[in-house]
Amino acid sequence: MPGKTIAEKIFSRAAGRDVFPLERVWLDVDLAVVRDFGGPNVVLEYDKQFGNTCPAHPDKIAMTFDYQAPAKVTKVAENQRICREFAAQHGIKSVYDVQYGIGQHVLLERGRVLPGEVIVGTDSHMNLLGAVNAFATGCGTTDLTAAWKTGKLWFKCPPTFKVIVNGSLSSPTGAKDLTLFLMNKIGTDIANYRAVEFYGEAIDNLDLAGRLTLASHMTELNIKIPFFSHSPSVHSWLEERAGRKIEPIEADADAAYEGVLEYTVEGLRPVVAAPHYPTNVLPAGAEGVVGQKINSGFIGSCSNGRIEDFREGAEILKKAGGKVHPDVRLIVTPSTKEVAIQMLHEGLYDIYMEAGAMVTNPGCSLCTIGHHGVLPKGDVLISTSNRNFEGKLGRGGIIYLGSPAVVAASSAKGVITDPSTL
Amino acid sequence: MKFKGKSWVVPDDIDTDQIYHGQYLPVTDPHEMAKYALTFTPGKENFPNEVSEGDILVTGKNFGCGSSREHAVICLQYNGVSCIVGESFSRIFYRNAVNLGYPVLECPGITKMVTEGDEIEVDLDSGLVKNLRTGKTITGVPLSDVEAEISNAGGLLEYLKTH
Ligand code: SF4
Repeated sequence: MPGKTIAEKIFSRAAGRDVFPLERVWLDVDLAVVRDFGGPNVVLEYDKQFGNTCPAHPDKIAMTFDYQAPAKVTKVAENQRICREFAAQHGIKSVYDVQYGIGQHVLLERGRVLPGEVIVGTDSHMNLLGAVNAFATGCGTTDLTAAWKTGKLWFKCPPTFKVIVNGSLSSPTGAKDLTLFLMNKIGTDIANYRAVEFYGEAIDNLDLAGRLTLASHMTELNIKIPFFSHSPSVHSWLEERAGRKIEPIEADADAAYEGVLEYTVEGLRPVVAAPHYPTNVLPAGAEGVVGQKINSGFIGSCSNGRIEDFREGAEILKKAGGKVHPDVRLIVTPSTKEVAIQMLHEGLYDIYMEAGAMVTNPGCSLCTIGHHGVLPKGDVLISTSNRNFEGKLGRGGIIYLGSPAVVAASSAKGVITDPSTL
Repeated sequence: MKFKGKSWVVPDDIDTDQIYHGQYLPVTDPHEMAKYALTFTPGKENFPNEVSEGDILVTGKNFGCGSSREHAVICLQYNGVSCIVGESFSRIFYRNAVNLGYPVLECPGITKMVTEGDEIEVDLDSGLVKNLRTGKTITGVPLSDVEAEISNAGGLLEYLKTH
């Protein structure tokens, strides 16, 4: 029998027997998470189907409120209350209310996500938790209702592609550029419903923030889940958060892959994803891109909302003169409360606010239309989030995606700017 | 299970914001969700008013990519769209449909043989699709074992009651 990929190992453990690619199996779920959208639908469905009976494992349920935090419309406020009341009724302790920030990041910081675990949630970017080699996937409300009740859910074991990324990046090119470069190369078809294991020098060098950036874009490629080469520093961070020793999970040397893709990022320059697809990637300095007038900038979201991202943005902003262009609204949103506190301690709030940016409370912010910062028709946004689909932030709004460095440089100049030319 | 109805056709890569926009996410009543179905898809802004009970949606590749919102399936279901036949589906959309017991058929090549408005017939179990205007047929990929069991039970929650 050949060895196992990471996906096969996780599936086999959670099913209690050997599982092979494309098999549908029922797995024990380690954590079932809802947000403040989706969450109320799950609670209402649960009450309708199962009345007052208790969920199988209240300790394996979490709620994170990051869709509209704090609520601005009564309906959302009511929805959040529906979730809180259900949690109180059933002894669900892990409610991360509106002050905490983006769910997946909060759960990571709290040590609730560990390598090898099976996690589901009502966000299509749950799979960014593959950054620490957990199997996490976005599900609908019916799935979550079932997982709460039974502690189990059906899954198809994905075949795995191996992706090797050679070369090293030199600042201001970073994890976002590597990510967008790979998005363009891999595209939405080849790895559809596949797991991907990332290896190579460029991947080994990614810290947790960089892994989160790459992992948070996999949904846009239809990739089920990304996994990563072992990183001692990420692993010790996880152990510190979990408060105990944990087993890393790695593929066997003789595991069978559906295919191997190999790329090099040596010499890569900053890039952007132009409207309206995240795979529509061009050099930030390319004709037709560089010099494009922008109306707003956004640094944040689950792809680029870590402290490392705000350091990078602040450094480039200073380099570009320290001021946001008078015609641009730059919005900066830490992913979590923990990141916000760190930003305060490092003086990053001062840098951004004195430059003329607005620093908001933690959350998903300009990644969904549920929040502030939506676009009027014809306005152009340069954003570090993971999607630039048409109409995402309002009908007729135009979105480019780029790194914190690209967003900071562009916000300072008022036009899309390659930060390596500053 | 067989369906016959008038077809609506949408192109490749229609994402969940186009099917059911994020601004309506707070809605929890499925009848209200139905009012917003496809209203962000170019050319289909008036879909909820124009669609009739029993119509069939034909989609391009990667239908339902984007968010995990189950609203995207429910809003079509509550407009009386009897089933969806697509070149391919995004996995979460497909999974949500199965979990709701809502008929979906993956059928590569379908958009090349159906023009919007054509009357088509879909046999979910065999995967056979027939265009009643042209007489042409094509075969899609029916649901696999576990998926079919769940879908035929009427969805995941019904399935759990008997398993
Ligand atoms: S930032 Fe966007 S993609 Fe990320 S968790 Fe929030 S809504 Fe989902």
